[in-house]
Amino acid sequence: MESGQPLIEFKGVTKTYQKGTHALNDVNIKIYKGEFVFVVGKSGAGKSTFIKLIMREETPNAGEIFVNGYELSHMRRKDIPYLRRTMGIVFQDFRVIPTMNVFDNVAFTLRVVGASQREIRRKVSHALSMVGLGNKARSYPMELSGGEQQRVGLARALVNNPTLIIADEPTGNVDPNMSYEIVELLTEINRRGTTVVMVTHEHQLVRDFNRRVVMLENGRVVADNSEGAM
Amino acid sequence: MKFRNFRYLVVEGLKNIWTNRLMSIASVGVLVACMLLMGAAVLLSVNVERVLSTLQDQNVIMVYTADDTSEADAMIAMQQIQQLSNVQSVDFVSKEEGVESLIQDMGEEYADLFEFVDEGGEKGSFLPYGIRVSFVDLAQYDQTIEQIRAVEHVDHINDSRELTMQIINMRNLVTTAGVCIVGLLFITALVIIANTIKITMHNRKLEISIMKAVGATNNFIRLPFVIEGIVLGIIAAALTTGLLYGVYRLVVAQLQRVMSLQAVPFGSVVWWLFGLFCLMGVVTGCIGSVISIGKYLRKEGSEFRAF
Repeated sequence: MESGQPLIEFKGVTKTYQKGTHALNDVNIKIYKGEFVFVVGKSGAGKSTFIKLIMREETPNAGEIFVNGYELSHMRRKDIPYLRRTMGIVFQDFRVIPTMNVFDNVAFTLRVVGASQREIRRKVSHALSMVGLGNKARSYPMELSGGEQQRVGLARALVNNPTLIIADEPTGNVDPNMSYEIVELLTEINRRGTTVVMVTHEHQLVRDFNRRVVMLENGRVVADNSEGAM
Repeated sequence: MKFRNFRYLVVEGLKNIWTNRLMSIASVGVLVACMLLMGAAVLLSVNVERVLSTLQDQNVIMVYTADDTSEADAMIAMQQIQQLSNVQSVDFVSKEEGVESLIQDMGEEYADLFEFVDEGGEKGSFLPYGIRVSFVDLAQYDQTIEQIRAVEHVDHINDSRELTMQIINMRNLVTTAGVCIVGLLFITALVIIANTIKITMHNRKLEISIMKAVGATNNFIRLPFVIEGIVLGIIAAALTTGLLYGVYRLVVAQLQRVMSLQAVPFGSVVWWLFGLFCLMGVVTGCIGSVISIGKYLRKEGSEFRAF
């Protein structure tokens, strides 16, 4: 697995917020193409900051970050959208737009990149059938369960064939059974070649799926096992 | 930006207007009120300008004889005036012609009044004789007026210069007040439009944050809001032009009942006014939306939680 250039690389990354919170402290991580990585830790361990730095929502105070070939520390603001188009993001709160139906929620990502109507139809149908919502394209989010809404979020993240999917506590707002389905879907997506980084605090899930685990504590990496259970 | 993107964003902008229709109506209402006042100032100014140019073009004055002057003396006075070097031509206005012209100015319905006044005397007996004098050179206006005043039997001169000066003062006042009012209204309109778009944006902050997360450029996010602002501006411009047409016709008709007024026809300024309103609407819409969206564009994505 660890061959060639890493897809994500943190080199001595430190992030301190203006209020003085030390979120990350000298973090070094390499994540390679095709990996499935759980990032775990308690609240305040630095998991969210880790995700925000990958998305280039935040910049580090020290160190360097490379994602999908972009060097993020000195990235120009106008290049940020192009970095984000290489990744799909799944949020804990689903972030589906209540006024749009399922199809439009997923098509949204493709509209942003200027895809043709034909391409949108083809790719959205494919993404929806992949997450098992092929028959719910015309439903509105309020007609769906929490798990289904999260699957819409997943479809939106993978519709543009990203090389990387970042999932920020994707099972945080769904019931335990649905949590397994969501992670299974992510595993399936990973099996097709997409790198998946999933932040979670559900240790049982992490144990059951037996993947690489990066554990953060007080902003430091305290454990990083490759391809093994904790 | 690709054309299909542009088309999609224009449609999104139009949808915004409908989704936030109450605020859209409020914005258009405020814009219309601002534009109406601005249009009224412009129309007033245009009309004052027209009256001024008519007056300035006139190098004709009316000279009236004293009440007890006989027709023969009035004719002598006219001949003396004609001999002045700066006088191009003279024209005698009899009492009868004077009354006719008065009736024409005031309206046929007042003709009876003059018959009553004339009872027992010849028509227009109460009026002085008039001499219409046109000048060769307006630069010598003051000297010529003095020379005419010195002619025997001349009682008073209807000098339009004073009126011209009054109108010039009025025009300056209208222009200054107009510029101040328009400036203030422009700022008001800008704030209102910016607020409307801010509300739209607040309602759509989740959408904006998702857009940012999936890689939308700032222009992609901004365009629907700019379109919304521009369309609101153009709707307001069209409404104002229509409303102003109605109000102008009504006011001119009312004024023409009480005075002789050659108002500027609305048709001759309609496109100019509509263009001005559109420009105002588009500028306020653009600036308003750019101001209000700035705050959201500086955020980077996941600041807004869905719940």
